[in-house]
Amino acid sequence: MMHAHVLHAPHATLTGVPNGKLGMWVFLASEVMFFTGLIGAYVVLRLSNPAWPGPDGHLSVMLGTINTLILICSSATIVLALAAAQRDALPAVRGWLGLTMALGAAFLGVKGMEYAAKLTHDIVPSTNIFWSAYYTLTGFHALHVLGGILFNLWVWSASWRAPSWRRQGHRLELAGLYWHFVDIVWIFLFPLLYLF
Amino acid sequence: MRESASPVRTYVVVWGWLAGLMLLGVLLAELPMPKRTIVLIVLALSSAKALLVALYYMHLKVDRRLLGLIAIAPLGLIALAIGVIFSSHLVKF
Repeated sequence: MMHAHVLHAPHATLTGVPNGKLGMWVFLASEVMFFTGLIGAYVVLRLSNPAWPGPDGHLSVMLGTINTLILICSSATIVLALAAAQRDALPAVRGWLGLTMALGAAFLGVKGMEYAAKLTHDIVPSTNIFWSAYYTLTGFHALHVLGGILFNLWVWSASWRAPSWRRQGHRLELAGLYWHFVDIVWIFLFPLLYLF
Repeated sequence: MRESASPVRTYVVVWGWLAGLMLLGVLLAELPMPKRTIVLIVLALSSAKALLVALYYMHLKVDRRLLGLIAIAPLGLIALAIGVIFSSHLVKF
């Protein structure tokens, strides 16, 4: 089996998987459980409240759809950055990674607009159980997006100097795994919060 | 989906599927169908999108089986959690 997606295989390991990559997958498995707890609580609350979300407002499906498209595009751009790294095309890596960060920032910008619109109408986490769940789920997800942008920024900064890239370039794959995970979480949050 | 010789082409095709399935879910949610049916279909579409991302963008399709096992491990616990949630719901009604 070919493992073409290892950028710079640093050392042979017992598992055949680089330690950093193995660690990232174990971390992501724990993150799955974190979001499962939150989403599970949301589903229980949702099933217990037939009149959901109540008369205090609704979410814009249009904004949610735009944000979902943004994250889907960003998943494509970061995997294209990885493909460019495998060709040693560093300028393309910087371009795709920069676009990924810009899309992540756009996602947070749209989310900020949504929050601002709700807060100006005095819709806060304590308004009712729906908004409490909404702010908790989207807030934690937004923090993960922010973390992903910072991770990408770290990798992007290393791509400007060849010696740094030789040492740290493999982290692009780890940043990509994390970013795709954040995308997958939103793929489930979007219909649960906006469509049902 | 067959993996083409060019990974870039595969990534773009997967992106098209992800965007298309997402828009399909949004359109379905607007249709006058029983809510339960819509929820099941849209969540199935979400699961398909997640699978596409995991297989092609996170490279589980070609990577070591160990990573696939790590990725699958929490799904058993999720199934357990969902089972508990819906068993409580059934008992309640």
